[in-house]
Amino acid sequence: MTKNSTDKLVTSTSGIELKSYYTAADIPEQHKPHVDVAPGEAPFHRGFHASGYRSKPWRIFQLSGFGKPEDENERIKFLLKSGETGFIMEHDRNTADHCYNVNHPEVVARCEDVGLTGAVMQSIRDTAICMDGLPVDTSFGHAGGAVVQHAPFALAAYWTVAKQRGFDLSSLKGTGQSDFNLTYLGCVTKEQIPTDAGLRFNADIIEFCAEFLPRWVPVSIAGYNAADTGLTPDQELGVLFANAVEYLDEIKRRGKMSLIQAAQGCGGVSFRASIHIIEEACKMRAARLMWSQLLRERYDISDPKVSNLRIHCVTAGSKMTYQQPFNNIVRGTAMALGAILGGVQSLGVSGYDEALSIPSEHAHQMSIRIQQVLQEETGIADVTDPLGGSFYVETLTAKLIEKAWTFFESIQKQGGYLAALDSGWLHAQAGENQYQEFMKTESGDQKIIGVNCFRDDESPFEVDGFMGTDDAFDVATERLNDVLRTRHEMGAARALKQLEADCRSDKNIMPVMMDALAAEVTLGEIGDVYRDVFGNWNTPIQT
Amino acid sequence: MENSQNRILMAKTGLDGHWRGPTIVARALRDAGFEVIMIGMANTDDIVTAAVDEDVDLVGLNIGGHIDVAIRSIKRVQEVRPSLPIFAGGTIPPHAAKQLQALGVEVYPPGSQLADIVDAAERLTGTK
Repeated sequence: MTKNSTDKLVTSTSGIELKSYYTAADIPEQHKPHVDVAPGEAPFHRGFHASGYRSKPWRIFQLSGFGKPEDENERIKFLLKSGETGFIMEHDRNTADHCYNVNHPEVVARCEDVGLTGAVMQSIRDTAICMDGLPVDTSFGHAGGAVVQHAPFALAAYWTVAKQRGFDLSSLKGTGQSDFNLTYLGCVTKEQIPTDAGLRFNADIIEFCAEFLPRWVPVSIAGYNAADTGLTPDQELGVLFANAVEYLDEIKRRGKMSLIQAAQGCGGVSFRASIHIIEEACKMRAARLMWSQLLRERYDISDPKVSNLRIHCVTAGSKMTYQQPFNNIVRGTAMALGAILGGVQSLGVSGYDEALSIPSEHAHQMSIRIQQVLQEETGIADVTDPLGGSFYVETLTAKLIEKAWTFFESIQKQGGYLAALDSGWLHAQAGENQYQEFMKTESGDQKIIGVNCFRDDESPFEVDGFMGTDDAFDVATERLNDVLRTRHEMGAARALKQLEADCRSDKNIMPVMMDALAAEVTLGEIGDVYRDVFGNWNTPIQT
Repeated sequence: MENSQNRILMAKTGLDGHWRGPTIVARALRDAGFEVIMIGMANTDDIVTAAVDEDVDLVGLNIGGHIDVAIRSIKRVQEVRPSLPIFAGGTIPPHAAKQLQALGVEVYPPGSQLADIVDAAERLTGTK
């Protein structure tokens, strides 16, 4: 490590100036009363539960999927066999994110891309293949549907298959995410319903789950997607709660369900765990405190079951390097450690081949092994909130909270989270940060091993990208034609017509979505209804 | 010749909407004086049409998916405008990078320096 001059200004990723050591006097006054509170007690920054990982180890939860539904099924079973304790069903981005069938001209033009980032699931038949033999009743399942307009389809498909197999919806555990930060900030698709229609969908899902799937996490706000687009940790916190407020205010306005139940539904979130280990641990602590504070002050909710935020975490994909990819095993471990020291309930570690492709089987297994070594060998899970009481950690937690609320307020000043997305204000913030971050590595201020220093790696090991299967498009085309040919056409047409009518009304769209899926209506047909009824979001950025 | 006299077309070959990479590159190229025309997610026809209509001097492709999709677009551009240089960035694994290089396309995978990308743009458009 090169020697820095001791008077050089050192800051955290959030731009908080860091001293070379801390004492009790540094802890901000407003935070001092919180320091000695036990984990599992308000304001919850010290952790979800007093017994922490002793009673409930974090869930090993890896993003997974490619190819045909049976390829994805096989990979998920491999991960479960390797020790994964939940499972994630990724859908093919080309079709899912846009709600296109594979015969859409934009998909046909890129037919080789199909299945590269998730299995193609255009009808309930595909979802049934993907879910074959998966422990949907005993495990925590991610049904897919990370993109807002896709979520109702993905969820209804998963639930309908589960129902057909005799599982009771009221006991199903899982999520579909349906994340605004992904959809409207991090990953701006070619066609997407506008944000107000997206908000309605998410409120529909929250209300539907409260009635029929009380154990399901209806929407999961992903700070991850804001952070990996460029927002700093304090901004990630601020944007996540600005998003939550938008959902809760909408539920309140609709007046159909209790706000406590809605807060419970919004209280399973996900964050990015990046490489600044201590700051990331502080971020998770800050998040729990902020959530309980927000619920108490804005909604008068202090029920501990609701005020206690549950956090899933994914290590930063953008920190994984293309050069010397095995170094990423170390990065994955370091980032996972930050998340665990922050007391998260669930964790996914990015593959060491993240910058090259979707994970190979080996990279995927390594992401699980990293977590198992941490869980079983290091003793990290023995004591809850092991950093609690550290002068530095408590100070940084408090400062992050302060900075995050400032960012939250600046979003409110823009007219709220949706307005800040529609105007492109958040994109501009992220874009500027990205550029500055890039400039720091360009100048060498921020060193990245194997990228801008220590590039003379002579390791004989080479990693090439994993390219999945090459028949996903052809098989998906055959299966689409097969569904359209063999389904009960009148039933499908009736369901589709009702879907359109319900989209145009203010009815909850989930009941009709369940009917449509059961009637084997396909993804692209549903997308066509959306495009007709809601039109396209006016994208505020040029990509 | 000045950079400002040169136009660069930037397009994404896939339908994946992540925008970090291409926007950072576009900003660096604009800061260096180039005129950058971004058309976002574009299929082969979109790319060929823009390359001709906009009379660009260089094409930059952001590749996030299968290399065969990009190769189809590259070959069409090379048929229509054989002397038009092309460079590419994105999630391009080593085996795919070799395929692109064989077609005369320069490849800038993740971790590339912006200064090198700007240098390449100047060299490929003949300002340097």
